[in-house]
This record gives sequence, C-alpha cells and structure tokens, in this order.
Amino acid sequence: MKHFATLGLSASLVLLAGLPAAAHHNGATYFDTSTTIEHSGATVVEYAIVNPHGRLHYTFTDAEGNEQEWSAELASANNLRRRGLGGEIFKPGDQLVSVTGNPSRSGANFMRLESAEFADGTVATFTGANRGISPGRDAP
Amino acid sequence: MMGQPDPSTVRMTPAGQAEFDSFTPDKDPTLRCLMPGIPLGLVDPYPIEIVQQEHQILILYEHFHQVRRIFMDGREAPDHWQPSYIGYSTGEWEGDTLVIRTTHMHPDNYMWTAGFPFSGDENTYVIERWWREGDVLRFTGEVHDPTYYEEPYVVNGLWNYAPDGEIWEYECIPEFGGIE
Repeated sequence: MKHFATLGLSASLVLLAGLPAAAHHNGATYFDTSTTIEHSGATVVEYAIVNPHGRLHYTFTDAEGNEQEWSAELASANNLRRRGLGGEIFKPGDQLVSVTGNPSRSGANFMRLESAEFADGTVATFTGANRGISPGRDAP
Repeated sequence: MMGQPDPSTVRMTPAGQAEFDSFTPDKDPTLRCLMPGIPLGLVDPYPIEIVQQEHQILILYEHFHQVRRIFMDGREAPDHWQPSYIGYSTGEWEGDTLVIRTTHMHPDNYMWTAGFPFSGDENTYVIERWWREGDVLRFTGEVHDPTYYEEPYVVNGLWNYAPDGEIWEYECIPEFGGIE
C-alpha cells in the first residue's frame, strides 16, 4: 500500500490550510465591501464568539438623536481563537469610540466588522492582514 | 489562481447562469450549520488530519467535524447510497498521486458561495488529485457538472504539514449564520 507518508512521515498527518483563512463565504456576496461605515459612540450589548460567525451587538445614537441597534459579523469562533481574538474583548456596557465595517447588502442594521476603537485608544481589527489588538494591548 | 477560479473564467450554461443570478445567502449550507461537503468544501480554511489505512483514507476536518472516507479497496457505491453533503469517494494511486472520484453529492450544495451553483444531478462527479511535495500536500479538484457548466469547474490548493497542529471542536449555532 502506498502512503503519502512513504515519502517520510508518519501515517497520520495533521495539515494546515495553505490559503488565507477567510470566512466561509465570499464577504462581497453579502456585504458591500467597497463601502465602510462608521458608528461613533457605540455601547456594547453583547459579544458572542460562536461558529459559523462571531457577533457584536451594539447600540449608538444617530445624528437625529435616535438610538439604533446594530449587529456586526465577525470571523468564526475558531478563526478568532487562532488569531488571539477569542477572548472577552468586549463586555456588555463597554463604551466604544467607534465601530467600522462593511454594510449588509440587505439593508438590515448589520455589517461585517472591520474595527472597533476603545476609549483608551486601542483598536481591535478584525479583517485584513493586521487582524489583532493594538497598540500594546494583549488580547484579554 | 489558488483556491477558487477567477470568476470571469467560469463558463456556465444558461441553466447555471439562472441559478447564479438567483443566489441568496440562505442557499449557503454552512450559514445554516450544515457541512460544506463536496464540492463546496474542496477548499477549506481549517486544519485537517489524514489517516491512512489499508482499505480507506480518512480525512478528518475541523470544519463542521466532517469525515471523508476515501475507499481504496476497489469497491463502488452501493445501489442504495443516497446523496449526501460529503458524497461517496473512491481512490486509487497513479504513481505518487492520489486520484479521488466522488459521486452522490447533495443537490442542495453549492460550488462556491460567490453564487456559483451545483446541480448535484446524476451526471455530477468530482475528480481530485493530491500529491506531496516535501512538507506540502497539493491538490486540484475538477467538478464535473455539465448541467450548469460548459467545462469542469477547477479548484486547487495546498496543505502544510503541521506536526504540532491541533484539530479543534467546531460547534455551530444557526442563529449566528448571518442570513440577514
């Protein structure tokens, strides 16, 4: 019997994908990735680290003084955990300077989260090559 | 290109184009916590483990805990075999290349969630070729779906050997699929 392992390794191989670990789906199918929207002065309602996608639920007060409820989609829980973004980055009641992301094509109050800035100036980035928390703050 | 083909190069039949034009996110099985299977999961972003036995090769996926059995003992799919997301796979060696043929795939699956459809009818099959180059395992996959495509839809990719790699649980909650 031939094995991949006959070329030198054990009969059980663990392998990591050689492609960027994107979300399940092509984000541009569901979100307008050519547009970034920003919500200032957001308050965290809930942060869920789950599969198939994490979720940040927050509120903010728009320019007309109306409170809006929004949800922002993140990568999968497994993806976030591998990148050190799986901790309790957000807690209910956290005040955020701003939240940015790509709006849903459906028109719902829903976006793909790009980044969130905390009151102390640190920024959590959830898309692109620089995913992580900066500057100088370890993921909780 | 690595992964999925350049969308501009994919030539669909009129029936395939009609399906493409009507794609909506709720058709993506993974957003409902159903496994991507084959062909959608041919290119997968999470770790896998390959276990080689005499009669079969197992591919154990972190993603949705999928298990692929690739029968290497010459058997064919039994008559009663029902379509499934993972399909029915048999394999043989051509030199140092593993050639896998998969049939019995689920008609509710998709080729790729950019909107490319998959008919899953009786004429569909997938031929994969996997070969090793040092610590890299490369593969190509040709999805034959003449109902929806003028020519095979071709994906490719690679896996890096990871002796310290870990396979994690992948629980999934449909309410977080993001179909909004």
